[in-house]
Amino acid sequence: MDSMRLFGFYAPSMAWLALLIVPLVLFYFLKLKRPRAMIPSLVLWQQVINDQRVNSPFQRFKRNLLLLLQLILLGAVIAAATQPFWRGRVSRISRLPILIDCSASMAALDKPGGVSRLDAAKQKVREIIGGLLSDQEVCLISFDRTARKWTDFTGNRKILLEALAQIAVQDVPSDVEDALRMTEALARSYPFGEVLLFSDGNFPTQADFELSFSLNYQKLPPAGPNVGITSLNANRTPDGMWDVFARFEGSPDAETAATVEVTRDEAPAGKENVRLAKGQSERMVFRISGDRASSVEVKLFPDGFDSLGSDNRALIELPALRSLWVFAAPSLVSYRHALSALPAIRLFPDEQGKCGESSFDLVITDRAEDLALEGRISLYVGLVPKPLSHLLTVGKEGTAVVDWRRDSPILQHIEMKDMVILDNPRSGENVREGDYESLGYEVLVHGGNGPLLLEKRSGEKLAYSMLFHSDRSTFPYRIGFPILISNLVRLAMQQTGLAEVRANPTGVLPPIGVRSENSLCRVEGPDGYTREEKSDGNRKLSGIPAPHVGHYSIFEQGTKVAEVGASLLSARETGLLSIEQIQFNEGLSVTAASGGPKMDRSLWALLAMIGFCVLLVEWLYYHRSPGWFAGAGN
Amino acid sequence: MEGATGEPQVTTLLDNRVLSRLERLRIHSIRRFTDKKRGEHLAGRSGSSNEFSDYRDYVPGDDVRFVDWNIFARLNRPYLKLYYQEEEMHVALLVDASASMTFEGKLERAKQLAAAFSVMGLLGTERVSAAVFNSAGHHPATLGPCTGRASLLKFFTFLEAVQGGGDAPLEEGIEAFLKYRVGRGIAILLSDFLTFGDMKRGFNRLFSSGFETFGIQILGRAELDPEVAGDVRFVDSETEKTLDVSPGELLGIYREYREAFQRNLAQLCRQRSGRFVSICSEDSLQWVLFDLLRRRGWIR
Repeated sequence: MDSMRLFGFYAPSMAWLALLIVPLVLFYFLKLKRPRAMIPSLVLWQQVINDQRVNSPFQRFKRNLLLLLQLILLGAVIAAATQPFWRGRVSRISRLPILIDCSASMAALDKPGGVSRLDAAKQKVREIIGGLLSDQEVCLISFDRTARKWTDFTGNRKILLEALAQIAVQDVPSDVEDALRMTEALARSYPFGEVLLFSDGNFPTQADFELSFSLNYQKLPPAGPNVGITSLNANRTPDGMWDVFARFEGSPDAETAATVEVTRDEAPAGKENVRLAKGQSERMVFRISGDRASSVEVKLFPDGFDSLGSDNRALIELPALRSLWVFAAPSLVSYRHALSALPAIRLFPDEQGKCGESSFDLVITDRAEDLALEGRISLYVGLVPKPLSHLLTVGKEGTAVVDWRRDSPILQHIEMKDMVILDNPRSGENVREGDYESLGYEVLVHGGNGPLLLEKRSGEKLAYSMLFHSDRSTFPYRIGFPILISNLVRLAMQQTGLAEVRANPTGVLPPIGVRSENSLCRVEGPDGYTREEKSDGNRKLSGIPAPHVGHYSIFEQGTKVAEVGASLLSARETGLLSIEQIQFNEGLSVTAASGGPKMDRSLWALLAMIGFCVLLVEWLYYHRSPGWFAGAGN
Repeated sequence: MEGATGEPQVTTLLDNRVLSRLERLRIHSIRRFTDKKRGEHLAGRSGSSNEFSDYRDYVPGDDVRFVDWNIFARLNRPYLKLYYQEEEMHVALLVDASASMTFEGKLERAKQLAAAFSVMGLLGTERVSAAVFNSAGHHPATLGPCTGRASLLKFFTFLEAVQGGGDAPLEEGIEAFLKYRVGRGIAILLSDFLTFGDMKRGFNRLFSSGFETFGIQILGRAELDPEVAGDVRFVDSETEKTLDVSPGELLGIYREYREAFQRNLAQLCRQRSGRFVSICSEDSLQWVLFDLLRRRGWIR
């Protein structure tokens, strides 16, 4: 690094003032006329002057102290006029990307009525922008769960300050990796050596990123205590109610009491008091009737100071409880028998053989003509999916189960060993498991010659293909069979939201169904949020950003078709955790620096102060009246 | 002349009340350097005063009038009764009136002290003379010797007329005075003793001439505790020599030298059976006369 660039001058042209040294020295010696003071006798003074102590080098030096003081004073004035500054580390960088964390925790205040972390970061960035030199450029990037570039590399202060003012807190967790990846991509177009990161450190310690530049991690001062809601979900009870579970957590230093209020469709549904100890969490359960679809809101009112407000509110949409609609082909007697024993199930076709619906929650069939039925979960028994017909054939020589995916939801707690199967699904020659996977099928059960059970997910739909017919096996007689049915029902319940509902976190809303395909819909959210989205071929709106906590209403052709809530629900954001060190791949780590980036430091004020002190010393020593012989006689 | 209270003053140098107190005081000599002339001071040798001195054996040839007959009656042996000799003492008032004494009222204080000593001397039947040193090479202005109360006004007039100025070194003034000295006694030196010359010679000359030296150094406040603000050029009031002085540690060194200078003068006086005291010109005259000098036994 060029040491000459450690210091700079805003007004170097003022150095011509150094020429004043010449007349100063000239006038000093011309005007060096000591005031005469008549004294009675020089007897004693002569002896004093002859003393060795008086003639010491220091005392000789003091004889010209006035000139020295005047030179120092003039030097300080000249130096101050040139407006010198010490180049901070930031100033020695010509191109600097600045990453600003704007996740939910950045809205936390340091004290009641204080400033938020984001405001503190913006203030520091403003100082950097204010001190930019003509050859320096800055690029502003904010990040929450995704990164956003606000400006290109520019030295235009107006553009930078306007962009900085627009950066606002998003009620979502932060993802520093996304911001670093964007910065790395930026480096391909505009090379730079260092990146400045302003954050409260509320992200994972480990970052899956290979750091290719120097990262200056500036950690902001810690915020005050905070409590909030970190989890909200609901489980169906056997008696047709919803048990709404809410979890409350706080930052490590938070210890407070709070009031929890629950409303259902804006009507009070419950109120409780909760007390949070340091490092502890509390869980509460509220029972809500499932007779109709309802929007439940949980609000937390801490008694004391709470630094973050966005996590004190959580929303959950509860559907109306109903029976699970299950279609089971009449030929699958064993399945229908097992299903009839389970509660909250409406079985199709009914006992009269009527089946008035075409869409079901669960479809179980062994008939090819039922493949047209719509089901969130489907189990096809003894049917080979058409896309796989060229990969395998089903023989009659029998086979056995070799292995199965025990962690699959459908196969949990099922023992398939020693099961006798008369059908023999056989993969073709040179057909491997990867061939099935390339077509979207995952093998759950492996037979001796090929797969026995396959899983395929298509959007929200989940289809299982049992390549052998269970009636030609010992499976219906095994204990695992009713468990399989139970797993299917439970899975269908979960997929349809009839068994368990979780509150939607902020970030991106789940797919929302609308009335028609390719329909332009308007989304209205909290804080004046509006957006237009187009539905897909499945009449779904997907990927709708939800940056703030609150309700999001979807309007299709002016009619409100859906409303969903989004909540922060992040234990990390609520806990205001702050890491000191970020670990990157290949053992690299970056430690936080809390003192702020080293900025330009103007030195003129210091020089002016030095000049003033010199002036004061000179006045004290030389400008006091030497009239102590005023009483001299005539 | 009128004093502060409006009453007529005998002299401008001394207040009447001070004058009346001085009439009851006498100069106290230790060495008793006296003249042969009869006076009121008891000489060291036997004489014919009424003051008893000692007894001694009678030897043939002694005046039988001095035999103590009472003792002879008791012891049947003649003893001679001896008496002190009362002689006259010469009080010489040597006033330094050079230019250096014109600062800060030093000369005024010297004139007042000289007047006070002259009162005590004349009323004590001493022979009092005065000498004032001004310019080098010139004979000092002198008065006396005089005796008796009648000479008081003469002394007051002489001292009142003393003007400061000149460059007479004190030791040269002493030399000049001793050329015309009359008798032995006390030499009272009233000066600031700020001279480039050697005072040792002056004191020696006074001692060898039969004078007990009373040195009274009168310094101004600025000489005792000077203040130097900024670079300044000092000009000697007598020699016009200059000296450039800058502030700093000078003041501390100056005080060291001044104190050493005073100690040296006091030692020179003591070694020659004399006395020395240093006063400030701002010190009260009454305090100097009736407190300081009385406590030190200079006057009684």
